[in-house]
Amino acid sequence: MSLRSLLVVLVCIVASVLEAVVPHLFHLRSARADLLLSVVLYCALHDDIVEGAALSATAGYLSDLTSATPACLYTFLAVVTFVVVRTVGGPLKTDGGIQSAAVAFAASLVHSVVAMLLFSFVANGSEGLVWQPGPLLWSALGTALAAPMVFAVLRRIDASFLPATTDAPGGLR
Amino acid sequence: MRSLFRRYRELIFVGLLLGAPFGVFFAKAKKGHELNLLDRGLLLLTAPAERAIVGAVGFTVDVWHGYVALRGVRESNLELRRELIRVRAEAETALELRGENDRLKRLLDFGDKQVATRLLAATVIAVGASPHSHMLRIARGADDGVIKGAPVISPDGVVGTVAQVTSSYADVQLITSPLAAVPALSERTRSRSTVKGTGDLTRCKLEYAVRSDDLHDGDLLITAPAPGFFPKGLRIGTIANLVRHPTGMFLTGDVLPAVNFERLDEVLVVLEQLPPPLEPAAAARLPPPPEVAP
Repeated sequence: MSLRSLLVVLVCIVASVLEAVVPHLFHLRSARADLLLSVVLYCALHDDIVEGAALSATAGYLSDLTSATPACLYTFLAVVTFVVVRTVGGPLKTDGGIQSAAVAFAASLVHSVVAMLLFSFVANGSEGLVWQPGPLLWSALGTALAAPMVFAVLRRIDASFLPATTDAPGGLR
Repeated sequence: MRSLFRRYRELIFVGLLLGAPFGVFFAKAKKGHELNLLDRGLLLLTAPAERAIVGAVGFTVDVWHGYVALRGVRESNLELRRELIRVRAEAETALELRGENDRLKRLLDFGDKQVATRLLAATVIAVGASPHSHMLRIARGADDGVIKGAPVISPDGVVGTVAQVTSSYADVQLITSPLAAVPALSERTRSRSTVKGTGDLTRCKLEYAVRSDDLHDGDLLITAPAPGFFPKGLRIGTIANLVRHPTGMFLTGDVLPAVNFERLDEVLVVLEQLPPPLEPAAAARLPPPPEVAP
């Protein structure tokens, strides 16, 4: 495991602590930012496949730990999200804050709907399950607001691992 | 073969990362989640951090509130004195009512059959982040006697059951989770039903309430006595949107939980339900306890 991957895992752990504590402290019922999903998105758009998929699985596993949902639900979803964003995300730009937020908003909505579908399977069909578009939208909004910050932290980590640029001999470029 | 593996290395790796969790999810989806060594290690790492953050913020808020409260302390003092006089009057009335109640109980030979319980106070340190997560993390674990499946309550009513336990922390699955169901009793009519989680924090679903039962909107549901479940008589919630269909065996409706899950800072874990005390006559029939050597 590279030092960069280790740092990303550390970011994931900090994100999992924050996303569990902040809604409790501020009594947020719905607008809960999925910080770990933002990490998965960043990995899908910037990492190579093997490292990105492994880091996405790690982020999903940490989500599973803080959710008390059936085992591996979020691990599976994180890798699916990675694959989907990797496949269709070529033209996506996440350099600016608004673009990052827009990508995170859309990804969070899709992620939540798929999670609901899988969750309804566990809850013996969707009969007893309430579909709540409100909380999903609020959660997507929270994720969109937090995504630019997560992206900035990860970009900063990546920048510290870039090879130093050297000037061409003679000062010409 | 090796070149083939090398060529599709990335595809195989991602396939494995997709297949393994999917397999585990389908295999264990309905069996509950047991924490493994890695899970416990990570929870030991993250839960103290969560506890420290919540503690630090709570301390800051307490200090702030303490300072602000001092500004209006004189008015508050006068108000409290007036309140004290009113409460004393109420307490005297309550004492009279209590005496009357005791007399009536004796007359009706009504023994209090409520099972005694041993409760453990626990601080809530985190909540599930996802909108599909109906979980609270408490700063009590197996070292404090908390076991998986232990009922968790608050002064307002039923909260949920312990879903996962580590040595110092436990995750509580709320009654609003789609995986939760609580046997219930109407306080007014004593008719039985089941309260099932819907995934919505603000309401549960009323199930198995027989159509002929005299239930109405606003009726309070309390926990029904069931072995290994919640202590009897705790508030679950009130019935709302009750529908009496012309056909079918059961009523349908919602249950509005008595507990506000967004504002829970402390909960009580039911460690064990003690056996009811023996009647004096039955206790007298027991052999005397062995003497303890000095």
